[in-house]
Amino acid sequence: MLLSTVIFLPLFFALVMTFWPQQRTLRHLALGFSLVEFLISLMILSEFDIGSARLQLVEKITWIERFGIQYFVGIDGISLWLVLLTTFITPIIILASWQSIDTKVKGFHACLFLLQTAMIGTFLAMDAILFYVFWELSLIPMYFMVGIWGGARRIYATIKFFIFTMAGSVLMLVAIIYMMYLTQQATGVMSASLLEFYKVQIPFVAGTLMSQQTLLFFAFALAFAIKVPIWPVHTWLPDAHVEAPTPGSVILAGVMLKMGTYCFLRWVIPLFPDATEYWSWLFLSLGVIGIVYGALVAMIQPDIKKLVAYSSVSHMGYIILGLFVLNQYGITGGIYQMLNHGVSTGALFLLIGMIYERTHSREISKYGGLAGVLPIFTIFFFIITLSSIAVPLTNGFIGEYLILMGTFKAAPVYAYIAVTGVVLGAAYMLWMFKRVFFGEKGELVKDEHHPLHDLNLREIVVMVPLVILVFWMGIFPNHFLNWTKSSVDHLVNNKSKYYLEIHETKVAKGIEYGN
Amino acid sequence: MEINIGLADVMRISPMIAIFIASLLPITTKVLSGNKEPNNLVTLIQGIAGLIVGLVLLTVVGGSGELAFSKSLVFDSITLWMGALAILSAMGAIIIMYENFATNGKQFAELVFLALNSVVGMLILVSAMDLLTLFVGLELMSLTLYLMIAMSHEEKLSKEAAFKYFLLGSFASAIFLYGTAFVFGTTGSTNLITFMQEASSLVQSNRLFLFGISFVILGFCFKVSIAPFHAWTPDVYQGAPTPHTAFMATAVKVVSFAAFLRVIATKSLVGSEGLFDVLQWLAVITMIVGNVGAIVQTNLKRVLAYSSISNSGYVLVGVITAGISDTGFFGASAVIFYLFSYCLMTLGAFAIVSILEKNENHMISLDGLKGLASRRPVYAFCFALFLLSLAGIPPSIGFFGKFYLFNAAVGEGLIWLAVWGVINSVISVYYYLKPIVYMYMTEGESEIAGHNLSATTVTMIVSAVFIALLGMLSGPIFSAVEKSFIN
Repeated sequence: MLLSTVIFLPLFFALVMTFWPQQRTLRHLALGFSLVEFLISLMILSEFDIGSARLQLVEKITWIERFGIQYFVGIDGISLWLVLLTTFITPIIILASWQSIDTKVKGFHACLFLLQTAMIGTFLAMDAILFYVFWELSLIPMYFMVGIWGGARRIYATIKFFIFTMAGSVLMLVAIIYMMYLTQQATGVMSASLLEFYKVQIPFVAGTLMSQQTLLFFAFALAFAIKVPIWPVHTWLPDAHVEAPTPGSVILAGVMLKMGTYCFLRWVIPLFPDATEYWSWLFLSLGVIGIVYGALVAMIQPDIKKLVAYSSVSHMGYIILGLFVLNQYGITGGIYQMLNHGVSTGALFLLIGMIYERTHSREISKYGGLAGVLPIFTIFFFIITLSSIAVPLTNGFIGEYLILMGTFKAAPVYAYIAVTGVVLGAAYMLWMFKRVFFGEKGELVKDEHHPLHDLNLREIVVMVPLVILVFWMGIFPNHFLNWTKSSVDHLVNNKSKYYLEIHETKVAKGIEYGN
Repeated sequence: MEINIGLADVMRISPMIAIFIASLLPITTKVLSGNKEPNNLVTLIQGIAGLIVGLVLLTVVGGSGELAFSKSLVFDSITLWMGALAILSAMGAIIIMYENFATNGKQFAELVFLALNSVVGMLILVSAMDLLTLFVGLELMSLTLYLMIAMSHEEKLSKEAAFKYFLLGSFASAIFLYGTAFVFGTTGSTNLITFMQEASSLVQSNRLFLFGISFVILGFCFKVSIAPFHAWTPDVYQGAPTPHTAFMATAVKVVSFAAFLRVIATKSLVGSEGLFDVLQWLAVITMIVGNVGAIVQTNLKRVLAYSSISNSGYVLVGVITAGISDTGFFGASAVIFYLFSYCLMTLGAFAIVSILEKNENHMISLDGLKGLASRRPVYAFCFALFLLSLAGIPPSIGFFGKFYLFNAAVGEGLIWLAVWGVINSVISVYYYLKPIVYMYMTEGESEIAGHNLSATTVTMIVSAVFIALLGMLSGPIFSAVEKSFIN
């Protein structure tokens, strides 16, 4: 029952928050809840069989018998760290929003917990319909989060976010239904189980769009591409990031974007191997374009938050590149980069939120000379900047290095262009750093009526775990990669005919395991 | 023709009889007490009790598949489920009438009498196996409805609405009858069982028959507001008192679709590919017209009216699926389940509109929802739930309704219809989210009407609970509906 607990405990917390009678203790309660959730999710590590590529801790209950839809959750090396990232980042978000969210505190935390349920559910669902339910459910709390607690153009941003994501995913619903019928043809029993989907051989004809596998491939890929987001369907992301409140941005960058990349790895690549191979050039190109485009656009942004938002587009381009080179290095790097991006970009948004609380401005030109005034803040910002531009010893380096190595092996042309993204990334981040922290004091910094205070203890506590993680992941990548290795090996070795089995000894206790 | 009516026939129509007798109670009381308005609450309880008795009797007699009155009425699964759904929706609508400014107070006894008679017409309509019986049900249902709308305490718009609905409805009825005449002329019968046996060959060979059956279908298309026969819907829905709009959007639509389904799903029009091609295009056009039309509306009732049009488009997808499939059970069950979910959501949404109306002339615009969430969190939350469910966001019942419907369509190879359906649900998200934006994300002075609204609130909360929970538990319900067809 461990996975179900991890999924539904936040939902329970959300309900408790809604009916909690007191206003004053809400934040303490929420923080406590999220820490409990994190500790419980750590138990997955102790239960997890590190050497197995199979699906573990499986829970399987018939849900809608008529269509073979099940409540089916399981975990393997690909989803493991993303679940932990989600549970890890939530307490940080709650602590970081201690002061910045001052209206409708109750609703905010209820949304946050509901979102957590939806995201973890998306990572763990192994049944297509269950997955779709969680996937779409994640839109609603995010919609409210941006729309209620966001900035000036929040309504435009949140509706754009909702409609873009929904537009992508509805075609996936039709594709899922079609896959259910294909499964029925192949095995005689209708099923929405992903494991059954893997067994179906979908006819593929190269060179035409109108073959079954290609159409299904694009129906799924579009949904995930918008979520990632891949250039040119990325335009909702900068809007949403800029208008979202800090916690919203963190969760969006930290976890929600990974739902897209994770699903490429879980659904698209193994389900449609021929189409993936055939169309990989397209996604490699879009990934590379995203890297360079995101970096160039980030460079000229006057708003720090928008700059980081575009850097996200660039970083997500790397992940797509890594996944679609379809070799060991690329995919491992892709998974690692998902975590890195969650940690570093999440941390950047937190830092931007902290400075915004003090000055109520994100204009780079109004800053300058911040280093002399806020030394602790500067140190944190510098470390995270280094992580974001992938300096060795930080986490970013491992991810980008692996991805580029994989790309050089498989498709060197793309690597040549992608490498420029590394240089550009350093350029825009360091340039921004210089303009904000060094030089002459900007108008906001030298304003003597409102002297700036350096980070307080709460904010330091928020940042320390992230900084530890930056170095831990940068210096000991194997502490993390060992857990994913078997699953990635299994995926790469069987990429043309992927299958996934259930780890019999690691089936959740007390669950009757049938068919 | 030998007419032979036994006691068994009368037993089978006992739900209609019970509801008819119940409908007489309030006005009889009123007449006997010197035309003094009886207590509205007593009237309401009489009406609800009559409907409950009718519902119980329907569950006893319906679903057996037996025929009555020399094959002109049938009591099969469609009768049972759709009839029950209509009765339940009517119950919800009458409860809202009890507390709405435009309908409560004087003449409430007459209103309940008319509403219950409309339900009798609906039950005849869902069980009709003969085009003429069907017509009688249709007219009984519609005529009472015209009167109900015209009786509104609101002065201007409701009269216009009633008149518009009456004129256009009469036109549609005339066209329906005209079609029936052609069917009778070519086949010598108006009974669905009799003439549908020959229909599959006739529909290809005999142009006159095709002409007739097309006109019959066109009559249905008007009733369920399929584009391009939808133009009356927004005006009538806006002008009619909100409870009546709820009644039209739920019960009337359900039974009209039931009759539509019965004509289509007899599986004998399959030979006519042209007919189904046209219907498919009509479904697509209806979805688009409804959803695009709703985007530009500012009046909340008009938004819901256009939403109701687009929902007709979705249901039509299911009706077509039932029409072309070999067995038809899956498609028909999907239609029934979808209509069930649609009734819950629509009834709930109109209950909210009624709750917000402060007097009989009050029109709720989208602006009028501003800031509702901070003042009335429960109402705002329920309304948000109804809208998200209408938009088909999981895990609400609206998602599962659409899922079954499109699943049936894909199963019959109508993938392109399913694709149009889901694309349209994306378009619809835009206007379903707008009220939520006003309620939650802007500041304003919106407030519910000041008087006692407990009965309407209960209706709203019951719908909300069902919407939230029955989606996830929909598997057994759907299977039960589908199994009832096979038996």
